[in-house]
Amino acid sequence: MASLPKRIIKRLVSDPVPGITAEPHEDNLRYFQVTIEGPQQSPYENGVFHLELFLPDDYPMEAPKVRFLTKIYHPNIDRLGRICLDVLKTNWSPALQIRTVLLSIQALLASPNPNDPLANDVAEDWIQNEDGAIATAREWTKRYAKPN
Amino acid sequence: MKLEYEQVHCVFSWAWDIGNVEDHGVTSSNGVVGGGGEADEVGAIGALGGNGRPSEADDDVCGICRASYNGTCPACKFPGDECPLVVGECNHNFHVHCIQQWLTTATARGLCPMCRQRFALKRGVRINAPHATRFEQLAQERDDDYMEE
Repeated sequence: MASLPKRIIKRLVSDPVPGITAEPHEDNLRYFQVTIEGPQQSPYENGVFHLELFLPDDYPMEAPKVRFLTKIYHPNIDRLGRICLDVLKTNWSPALQIRTVLLSIQALLASPNPNDPLANDVAEDWIQNEDGAIATAREWTKRYAKPN
Repeated sequence: MKLEYEQVHCVFSWAWDIGNVEDHGVTSSNGVVGGGGEADEVGAIGALGGNGRPSEADDDVCGICRASYNGTCPACKFPGDECPLVVGECNHNFHVHCIQQWLTTATARGLCPMCRQRFALKRGVRINAPHATRFEQLAQERDDDYMEE
């Protein structure tokens, strides 16, 4: 526990990633409020998405728990904001850090993968009518992921 | 006086400071090949200190807990015998407690956190018996898991 602030906060604050912010909660240093900008040239561009990130007691042996708070139309993110991403589950490694995890999530926004879906209806829409699905994703971004 | 080694453990790691090749070129050009070894070493150490290389650059910390190799894992208070470093066949270093804790998880599947190759201790590098035994146990448990699958 004692080592937690050092391992995490130091890098995040001293070496921020463009388009990504993560701030620990005052009352609970394991709980982070995160924002990720939608990648350029993706249906999510110009959107700012809010996420919550929680470090379990076993971190870094166990992956952080991350969830979208902002509604998003994406085949690998369900309506509860849960994310289907291998590095958060079976391919977790303790060499990964909050910054690399958040970068992976940003990359997932840039390249949705409807063949490994979490939100089945969205994935189906994506496969059958990609242009329409992308238009919906853009619309949702405009409506829900407004930059402050 | 005669000394006998009973135990060997790694207390620090070092690397050639290849980031400043030109500086070193100047230093070592004064040395005589084959005879200037000692002078070169002194020169190199001086150059390292003078460059003020950050002590916690990424390559100087354990890839798991991100604490310095010179320090301990988060669970220990004192560096030394109790909390040594180990080096894998893949040349990745960790505090012994960090890598062992990782290898006990199901997610690890016996893999190095850095390169995802199967983690094995580097041959020819000795570590203290209790730690070595624990690695053997972990390897055994992993092999048993494979058999069950």
